[in-house]
Amino acid sequence: MTAPGRIGLALLLALASFAIVGPMIAASPVAQPDPLNGAFLLPSAAHWLGTDQLSRDIFARLAYGARISLAIAAIAVAVAAMVGSAVGLAAGSSTGLVGRALQRVINLGLALPRIIVLLVVLAAVGRIPPPLLGVLLGLTGWPAVARLVRGETLRLAQAPYVDAAHALGAPPARVLLRDIFPGTLPALLVATTLGVADAILLEAGLSFIGVGVRPPDPSWGSMILEARDHLANAPWLLLAPCVALVLATSAATLLGESLRRSLQPDTR
Amino acid sequence: MTPLLEVANLNIFFPQHGGPALVPVDDVSFTVSSGELVALVGESGCGKTLTGLALPRLLPRGAEIGAGSAIRFRGTDLTALSEPELRAYRGRRIAMVFQDPMTSLNPVMRVGAQIAEAIHAHRKVSRRDARDRVLALLVEVGIADPELRIDAYPHQLSGGMRQRVLIAMALAAEPDLLVADEPTTALDVTIQAQILELLDHLRTARGLAVLLITHDLGIVAGRADRVLVMYAGRIVESAATAQLFAHPAHPYTRGLFASIPRLNATTTRLTPIGGSVPRPDEWPAGCRFHPRCPVVIPRCRTERPPLEAKGPGQLAACWVTPGAAR
Repeated sequence: MTAPGRIGLALLLALASFAIVGPMIAASPVAQPDPLNGAFLLPSAAHWLGTDQLSRDIFARLAYGARISLAIAAIAVAVAAMVGSAVGLAAGSSTGLVGRALQRVINLGLALPRIIVLLVVLAAVGRIPPPLLGVLLGLTGWPAVARLVRGETLRLAQAPYVDAAHALGAPPARVLLRDIFPGTLPALLVATTLGVADAILLEAGLSFIGVGVRPPDPSWGSMILEARDHLANAPWLLLAPCVALVLATSAATLLGESLRRSLQPDTR
Repeated sequence: MTPLLEVANLNIFFPQHGGPALVPVDDVSFTVSSGELVALVGESGCGKTLTGLALPRLLPRGAEIGAGSAIRFRGTDLTALSEPELRAYRGRRIAMVFQDPMTSLNPVMRVGAQIAEAIHAHRKVSRRDARDRVLALLVEVGIADPELRIDAYPHQLSGGMRQRVLIAMALAAEPDLLVADEPTTALDVTIQAQILELLDHLRTARGLAVLLITHDLGIVAGRADRVLVMYAGRIVESAATAQLFAHPAHPYTRGLFASIPRLNATTTRLTPIGGSVPRPDEWPAGCRFHPRCPVVIPRCRTERPPLEAKGPGQLAACWVTPGAAR
């Protein structure tokens, strides 16, 4: 693994542990201990990152926000990877009508603008719990994975060891799962890692325009939304979630690119 | 005694858009009996590999078997079977060993697991029994330290060992016929001899029939019982090995021998066969070898010579070579 990749991995692990441990040591993210005198406090020993306009502890909101944002991203890429590889494997391995029909479905999914679809759905269903939001992101993200896995499946189906497996009388489903599927994993791993950055940004964007994770639940995106109004008098409200977003997406991208270099040396 | 495998009038063709179909294998007939090692010899592009692939019906996409063709295995015509029915033959009765041991193994699966897969594909066995069976197979194909190698990945093994693993996989379901397509081409000469030794040993030890597909007459010499010589999609000569080497009847076979370097020969120059193998869409009429044949007569250009007896147990398709006394 390259040095940037190691940095990315370390950062991701650090953020993940922050998301797990942070909320255990932080105060409540929604409690408003002193709305009259305790708002817009600068960082101090009591409030490490200060307080926001409602006197809520920013460190607590950042920690809970990390948990929510990262969990949504993890669920999103997991769903996209599962649905995408299932559809991609099926599309790549079945010849004739089924394969062609599945390819059309994938192309249709790719053609739909993801953010518009999400806006429409979220506007229709209203407030949904964060895990469901993750599932929804995954259900709009799988076509890209499916296209990738389909291509890998088509490539690997030409491999001599796949011919050899057929010659041994192995059932087609078994050849697909034992010989072809493992070969698609490197590409899938790279796409999934890079997809984490996408999912984090997408969730933050949706929450920023108010249809993703909605206040008072903290997510990095909704924190930026709430802090925006106080940009002039309390810019540090904005700083914490923004830095977290930049760190998380950069980490996932660095790791993903590094994995691509070592796992798929023939690309780019 | 009925032969184990009987191929009769095998035609393989590729239908072409707006043109006559390509027929890379044209009217090929031969038999293989249990315990027999038959060599199918020919240059690149003569149709020998397609012939081998056709036996378990593993032809590449686009290739079809002609209507009058029959591939009878123990009397069952494989050309009439459905895909699921064929799976019971592939590996279980007809196993294949491919040319390139570097790419014919799954790079991300331990070799023991791959051999076990071949066992599981055809019978219900427990994990432990399968492992014992795999170890026995590794011993049988001559792999040293099988306990060590069973958990190795393909890239950790040498080319010769990988070919042995492929042979072990092919043997896993105890087939009756082994089709080995250029099994030694990708290997060093010393390893080649060992692999051929192994195939020869297996057929005597197991009564296995072996169809050895090769372009190398040299490796055929000591081991094959019979040799089939293919040229441009047809079998031009078929004979017991000793007879073929002593009295090659077809000018093409003679040409092949003349172009092989020998250590004990006094001649210093090799005699090549002039020209090159025609492409399947440019096959000449009559005897397909006639444009390159040194003894061609007018009849060769128009009439296809039938396979006829030229000596004891020897058939050749040539108008010029005198037939055996009847």
